[in-house]
This record gives sequence, C-alpha cells and structure tokens, in this order.
Amino acid sequence: MNICMLTWEYPPRIVGGIARHCFGLTRALARRGHSVHVVTLDFPGAPQHEESEGVKIYRAPVELGHPNFIVWVLIFNHFLEKRVAMLSRDFKFDIIHTHDWLVAPVGIASKHYLNAPLVSTVHSIEAGRARGIHSPDSRLIDGIEWWMTYESKRIIAVSNSAKREIEEHFRLPWHKIDVIPNAVDASKYNISVDRESVKRRFGIAPHEKLVLFIGRLAPQKGVEYLIRAAPQIIRVNPDARIVIVGDGWLKDHLWNLAVQTGCQHKITFLGFLPDNDLVELTLSSDVLVVPSVYEPFGIVALEGMAAGVPVVASNTGGLSEIIEHDRTGFLVYAENPNSISWGVNRILSDPGYASWLVQNAKRKIYEMYSWDAVADRTIEVYRRALEE
Amino acid sequence: MSINNGGEPISVPEEIYFLCMLHNIGATSPERSLTFEEIARWTMLEPSKVEQNLKTLMDGNYVAISMDSGTKKYFITVDGIRKVLSMYS
Repeated sequence: MNICMLTWEYPPRIVGGIARHCFGLTRALARRGHSVHVVTLDFPGAPQHEESEGVKIYRAPVELGHPNFIVWVLIFNHFLEKRVAMLSRDFKFDIIHTHDWLVAPVGIASKHYLNAPLVSTVHSIEAGRARGIHSPDSRLIDGIEWWMTYESKRIIAVSNSAKREIEEHFRLPWHKIDVIPNAVDASKYNISVDRESVKRRFGIAPHEKLVLFIGRLAPQKGVEYLIRAAPQIIRVNPDARIVIVGDGWLKDHLWNLAVQTGCQHKITFLGFLPDNDLVELTLSSDVLVVPSVYEPFGIVALEGMAAGVPVVASNTGGLSEIIEHDRTGFLVYAENPNSISWGVNRILSDPGYASWLVQNAKRKIYEMYSWDAVADRTIEVYRRALEE
Repeated sequence: MSINNGGEPISVPEEIYFLCMLHNIGATSPERSLTFEEIARWTMLEPSKVEQNLKTLMDGNYVAISMDSGTKKYFITVDGIRKVLSMYS
C-alpha cells in the first residue's frame, strides 16, 4: 500500500504524543513492506527530505506567516498540500491518513483530488483539551474537527473512552470509529544505567527518591495537582524529589505554585529533554506520575510501564484503560492532590509492592502495546476504508 | 487569551502570546529573523511592549538575535518553538 501520512509533528519536531505515535506507527508499517510517506512541517536542523528505516519523510517549509494561529494553520496546510500534490506525480496514494485537526484541511483536500480514502486518527478533541468550547478559536477548531470526522471514511480513536467522546460530541455512527491504542518501543528501555550518575547529572542527590513527571506544561496535564501534593509527599518521604520534565506556557505559573507550597527546594524543573536523556531519567526514577485532567490515551504511562517504573496516574480517559488499579499501576482521583500523594507514598513506602506492580505492568506492555500490533490493526482499518 | 482550568481561568502570559505571534509569522530561524520594526508592524504592539516582550523571551532563551549588515534581527530558538507548540497539541 502507498500511504500518505499527514502530521504537524514528527521527530525531531516533538510536541506531544502525536510525534511519538507517528514515528512508531510509520516504522512498523514500513517493516511490513508498505510504502510510507510522511508529509510534515519543517524544523530547524532537520532535512527537508530523508528516508529513515524505510519511511520517507518530507518536511515542508512554510514560506508565509500570519500572527493569528488559525490563519497560520491554514497557511501551513496549503504548503503541505503543495508537497502532497508534488509527490502525487510520482506515487499513487492508496490511503491518506491524518492526525488531529491541525492537518485536516490538507487531508480533506488530498482525499478529493487524489480520490483516495481519508482515515483520521483523533488523538484528542478541542472540547476535551479546553474543557469545553469557551472561545471563538475553540469553536472554530471544534468545527474543523467535526468536518474532519465527517469527511473521513474511518476514524481511529486511541482508547474506548476517546471513542465514546468522539461519538457523542460529533454525533458519529459508532461503527465508523475503530479503537487502536498507542504503543511503546519497549526495547529502548533495555539498557543498563548507573542511576546514581544519572541523578547527579540532573542535580538530584543519589539518595533521593525520584518522583518523575514528563509532559507538556499545560493545564490538561494536571502538573499543578502534583505540585500541590508535594508537601504531603515530602512529609511522608523526606527524601523524595519531584522532577518535572517538559516545557509549556504554564511554566512560570507552576514555579510560583511550587514556591507557594514551600517545597520549591524539593521540586526540580528540567525543561525539555532529548529522548536519550528521557530514557535514562525514566530508568532512574522511583515512581512516574501522570496526573492528567484530560487524557484520551497517555503514552507516557506506557513508557513508564515499559521502563519498569511504577506508575501513579489519574483515573481518567485512556489512563484508566491502560492501568489496572493495584495490579499494573496505581490509579488516583484526577485533580486531587490528596489522592496523588496517597498513591505516590504507597509506592515509595513499599518497594516490594512497587516491584510487583512493575512486573505485572511489563508483562501487559509486551502482550498488548507493541507498534507491530498497532500497525497490523491500522492496516485492517485501511482495508476497510478501501472496501467500503 | 485565557484557558479554562476547571472553572478557574488561567491567562496565557503576554510574552507567550507574543512568542506565538513571532512563531506564526515565521521568525523561526536566523535566516528568517525579523527586525524590531517588522515585529512591531506584524504584532501591532507599542514599541515599548515589543521591547519588553523580546527582553523577557531572550532572558528565557526562547528568542535570539542574529546580525544582518549591522542590523539586529530576532528569531525564535528551538526551545521557543517547542514552547509555542505546547500550546496547541
């Protein structure tokens, strides 16, 4: 199959889970002999065209700009569309696959002029991310999302809860939506690290228990509730250090919050880290916290489980499907610092229990969340889109 | 601009909103950097506000300067791009 994959983020342009999802999926599709063409946005230092592990990647430069975000999105879609049109002279695409609303216009246009079915993976929706439709921009994005689901032959949701959300919000027939979870490349965690040396590298004392958060510093990720939980974590586990990896517009607000809790000396903000540092830091952690308020999937929880780190996560969205409470991880109430601290303290205070959770979690990861399995299921969706 | 966080709106800091505009108008590399006047024109902000925002963003390593024939030009760093993208994904 000739697959045209459209995404606004692809490594090294990594914003959230979409880049990781597209990276894992495209490589697995290529391993199965499919011809995979990723059309994405440019990024400083990344080549405009490269082939990596069988995946052809085209990074389109955006030669125009506009201060308004939505207008900018429409402009970059135009440049992506030009790139797809150029490629279509050499390749007859069987499937157009888009990821989220940001590339919906190019996906819809390509579907019509290439006469190929459109498949869209919905990683999240505006009504969830913004916790309602509260602004003109949100209404516009919500409308584009509806348009994308209308034009798509098939929709892929990343969890059952995401499927329900999409089905109800856009009034879609349930049989148009397939659920395919995210996955993780567990092999990247099969390395040995010197935990003390890794901790020192990031300014963490070797004896400190590392409570890790990885993600965008945005309200939906719920970092503020982990910070609010810090005093209760530190009271029970004085050696705990909360390490926050990632960047975002909420950073200053979160730092001020850390100061307000009086625990700022126990909270470290590391900013964005490259993947190899992330792997080493995750492997050196004592517990990974995923305190999301809204999380259709939660790929970071899978990464923690694959790395052999006990995971404490909000009982919300896809997280409550990935993690089986008290067996493969620990589910806590979202937006509830008391619940988060209870979960973290339970893990830190009982190494035997933590180790048991990790063993169960690793087994589940290897059985259910491989990119090869995701690729097989995605191909099935493509086939259904071609047949319908 | 604000985002609702469980009923409690949190405003996006002005300099972040300004950083988004720099990103969206394309000042994302030294080759595509813009002068102070060009930035003021695109963003339609008072020069004092532009100066203040640029300073804050340069202090955070989100914006850097390139020199073009003796003229200062401004562009967003990779960290700045990631900061902007974190708003939308």
